[in-house]
Amino acid sequence: MKTMSRFFFLLWGIAFAFGLYGIIMKFMTAERLAGYGSYVPWGLWIAVYFHFIGIAGGVFAVGTIGYFLNIDGFRESLRVMILVSGVSIACGLFSVWLDLGQPFRALNILLLPNFGSMMAFNAWMYNFFMLAIIAIFFLSLNKNSQADINDRSGWLVPLLALGFLLSIAYPSQSGAFFGVVDAKPFWNSPLLPLLFLGSAITSGAAVLLLIHILLFHDTFNLRHQPYKMLRLTVIGGIIFYFICEFAEFSLVFWSPNSDIREAVELVMFGPFWWVFWVVHLGGAILSVLLLFAGRSDQAVGLGAFIVATTFISARLNVLIPGQAVPQLKGLQNAFHHSRLRFEYHPSLNEYMVAVFVAALAVGLVYIGIRLISNYTSKKIGAAL
Amino acid sequence: MSSVPQVKKDELNRRDFMRCAGVVGGGVALGVGAVVSARGSAPPESPMGPATVRKLPEPKTVPVNDEADILVRMQADLRRALTKPVEERRWKMIIDTRKCVGCHACTVACIAENKLPPGVVYRPVMTEELGAYPNVQMRFFPRPCMQCDRPSCTSVCPVRATYKRPDGVVVVDYDRCIGCRYCLSACPYGARTSDYGHYYTDDTPALQAYEQLPNHEYGKSWDRKGHHSPKGNARKCQFCLHRLDQGLLPQCVTTCIGRANYFGDIRDAGSIVARMATKPNFIKLLEEKQTEPTVTYLI
Repeated sequence: MKTMSRFFFLLWGIAFAFGLYGIIMKFMTAERLAGYGSYVPWGLWIAVYFHFIGIAGGVFAVGTIGYFLNIDGFRESLRVMILVSGVSIACGLFSVWLDLGQPFRALNILLLPNFGSMMAFNAWMYNFFMLAIIAIFFLSLNKNSQADINDRSGWLVPLLALGFLLSIAYPSQSGAFFGVVDAKPFWNSPLLPLLFLGSAITSGAAVLLLIHILLFHDTFNLRHQPYKMLRLTVIGGIIFYFICEFAEFSLVFWSPNSDIREAVELVMFGPFWWVFWVVHLGGAILSVLLLFAGRSDQAVGLGAFIVATTFISARLNVLIPGQAVPQLKGLQNAFHHSRLRFEYHPSLNEYMVAVFVAALAVGLVYIGIRLISNYTSKKIGAAL
Repeated sequence: MSSVPQVKKDELNRRDFMRCAGVVGGGVALGVGAVVSARGSAPPESPMGPATVRKLPEPKTVPVNDEADILVRMQADLRRALTKPVEERRWKMIIDTRKCVGCHACTVACIAENKLPPGVVYRPVMTEELGAYPNVQMRFFPRPCMQCDRPSCTSVCPVRATYKRPDGVVVVDYDRCIGCRYCLSACPYGARTSDYGHYYTDDTPALQAYEQLPNHEYGKSWDRKGHHSPKGNARKCQFCLHRLDQGLLPQCVTTCIGRANYFGDIRDAGSIVARMATKPNFIKLLEEKQTEPTVTYLI
């Protein structure tokens, strides 16, 4: 076990160092090393952003349902859930901040917002959510016992309810963020908010499952709660997502003149066909098998890990093909430059930064658990 | 003896429900109110009224009559339009594809006028091939910003950095833009490009002086040194507002060797552009997007 820990720590160290170099290069060169351009203006960092935002929402939404229904394990792990959700949203926002052309003006969204824009609306929701979870964290320390639903002041439950609303609202709005773009027929679908919510719940539940296996494997039995609910949620989420995807894609191939056929063909048979078939579909099948039939912590944990990581393909398969189909067919050949292309391949720097953000998230959760455990031990005599 | 019911601390009670309803309802009401008020609010204030009237001297040496070059006549139309306040003008461009020879002079002139860096283009010229060999013909579509009447790019901006002026030109406030590129995604014409900070002489011993000069879009001086705007910003054609303000036609119009561009104030019934706008053989690009482009094409 100790050797395994050392191996993972070494792996994390390598990923962090590799990513850190990428981040330094990014700050030195602004966006000049990025592979996206003006016709495909959003790339890997935006996918990472939406993935982390989805995890943040999903973790909180699933965790709160478990908390309200008093399912074993959820009230005990409330603060862990808050920490993971908070770290995820912070890392997602860090990723999108790096993507801004003028990152040091990011505060303009809070100071000069246009709430008619889904981006500004989302940004404010994230901030309300972060304020809510900070308050929830401190109120959770004010309970008489772990089993209580509310704290002594009576405000924990209302804030959890508000947090729950926000945690399902902003992942859905991530879909609406694309859905309102009339210029891109592939995005302009009412199904998108549902797909984004579905993937958020699925990946969030997978992260919660993974965290429970890592932290509470001695406390709970794999066949009982909270694992039972989390496993079913992940499996159900995967099935829901693929049913929606099948509904959308099958209509495209059934119809003789679908507006989005080119985009769907790009998803399934384009240069990144393996993202759909191997990462997305393959990852989902493997994880369903592991989650359904797994009898050991390792097998179930691996299944959860696969979902938590490979579901970024769900974002990529919406994000990139939607942009890669030009509305004006002659535009790419009208003026040549690497930034004026409808093909997109993430650059090495983009991969490095993405690895950094992922390593940062893992590191912050690890450090957070240690630091906050010390704090809560002093405060209420119980670890996180 | 009646027993007092015990309050279960692991379940919700009525007070919890009321508080939840209040907090959640309040949150929803706040969100709806914010969106409704944003949808109803006016765009950022642009200068309007008599202060925007320009009285420019008439040229003495060039006769302005029906025999004169169309550029001279459109220049006269422009001077006449500038005598009105900005809110009474409505700029329009009509491009006659039968006159466009696909020389790309407008593209190059625009780059020179606005000192556009590599990867930023305001007016590319698209080529369309019609027919099959041996019966082949080419048609060219210069594609400036369409200055749509219902622009899809402005409403998505999270900070109101881009908006439609009273004269119909869609502009970008470089000082406010955060570079999120949502407007790039929202434009169906691909008429916006982001300035990624490139120079023509990147990877050479020294950047050349010509590409370090400030540009004068929107009548201001924009110096890209360091990471100053418009680096990192969305950039687009603005009908050369800085030239219009001085009584000059947009650079692409002036440069066109085929005189394929008609430009002026559509609200001036006597202008050339107003007369050309009555021609029935016009098309709008991607009309199905319902953005109501101001730029139209004669075919």
